[in-house]
Amino acid sequence: MKLILPDHEVLILEHDPAPVEQVLLEQGINPLEVIVTRNKKMISEDTVIEADDEIRIIRIAHGG
Amino acid sequence: MNPKHLQPDVPECSLCADPAVVYQRNAGRHLCGAHFTADVELRVADTIRTRRMIIPQDRVAVALSGGKDSTALLLLLSQLLPAWQDVRLIAITIDEGIIGYREETIQSAERLTRHLGIEHHCISFTDLFGDSLDTVLKGRETQACSICGILRKKALVVGAQQAGATKLATGHNLDDEAQSVLMNVFRGDLPRLVRNSGAGSSGKFIPRIKPLSLISEKEIAMYLMLNDAWNELPECPYTHHALRREVRSMLSGFEYMHPGTMLHLMESKKKIERYCAGSLISAPLHACRECGDPCSGDLCQVCSLLRSLGK
Ligand SMILES: [Zn+2]
Ligand SMILES: [Zn+2]
Repeated sequence: MKLILPDHEVLILEHDPAPVEQVLLEQGINPLEVIVTRNKKMISEDTVIEADDEIRIIRIAHGG
Repeated sequence: MNPKHLQPDVPECSLCADPAVVYQRNAGRHLCGAHFTADVELRVADTIRTRRMIIPQDRVAVALSGGKDSTALLLLLSQLLPAWQDVRLIAITIDEGIIGYREETIQSAERLTRHLGIEHHCISFTDLFGDSLDTVLKGRETQACSICGILRKKALVVGAQQAGATKLATGHNLDDEAQSVLMNVFRGDLPRLVRNSGAGSSGKFIPRIKPLSLISEKEIAMYLMLNDAWNELPECPYTHHALRREVRSMLSGFEYMHPGTMLHLMESKKKIERYCAGSLISAPLHACRECGDPCSGDLCQVCSLLRSLGK
């Protein structure tokens, strides 16, 4: 699967299908601090993502 | 095969079976974009109603920085208020004078108010205090957030008064509020922990309201994204110095591991407020020697800050 990290770095992972939440935790990301999209659509943290998915992780910046 | 089953791993909304965008851990349910949006609007309306934040004939000034929280607040209020009697909205933007940060957020604030047809006032630190925040902070960067906070609060009150507002609404969310509780505890500042909240007192004060105080930061970001109002704006350059940054990441780690932590902090604060009622630690109010604003000492916070800055 392809992960686009908050700093726009692209990460290609050999990974069995897994819930988004698990993949985030493995990357050291707190799921509460990001929003995850697949094909520009927001997905919930328990959505299982698969090998050919492109996943974008957007960090929620602090600020009024 | 039903096309839906081509994607067996997308959880469905508990209310309508559309693809879910969120799993709400407290409620134990999935929601789609439309139902999530409706849920946020309902909870904000409920907060406003049960805490009597807005009453008929109010003129509500929204502190609009152009960042995500205040943008969501203005969108939500403009969505909800037509249902209230004779309530008017105005937006107030403070230009602190932070190069490389404020320009973009001010433009975003202007676009939004134009789009919503809401009266918009802009006030700058330079007009009000004679200098931009960048200038004031030279050599004092570590105090950035507290200095800026004091001046911005004053600027907002001036703006709200000039606009004839009866309420001043800010975009503080659940995360902000819980962080503030913890920071005041860490600093040993019980009086501030209790004092902050008040819906305001009578007389010169314009009551401050925080309609988003039960909505989490993530929910606000999701609400914006689902309603095409998400902007990737720069983060204030001074937050690097702030204790809040550390508290924010620690607290959100706790919230993840122990859902409900932030709400529990808010409940603790409420309990402390109740215990303190009547025995309040603050001194009686005087009028500030310089500006006449009500304050506990000889000079108000703003005037004593301006004095220490050599103004
Ligand atoms: Zn739904
Ligand atoms: Zn004063």
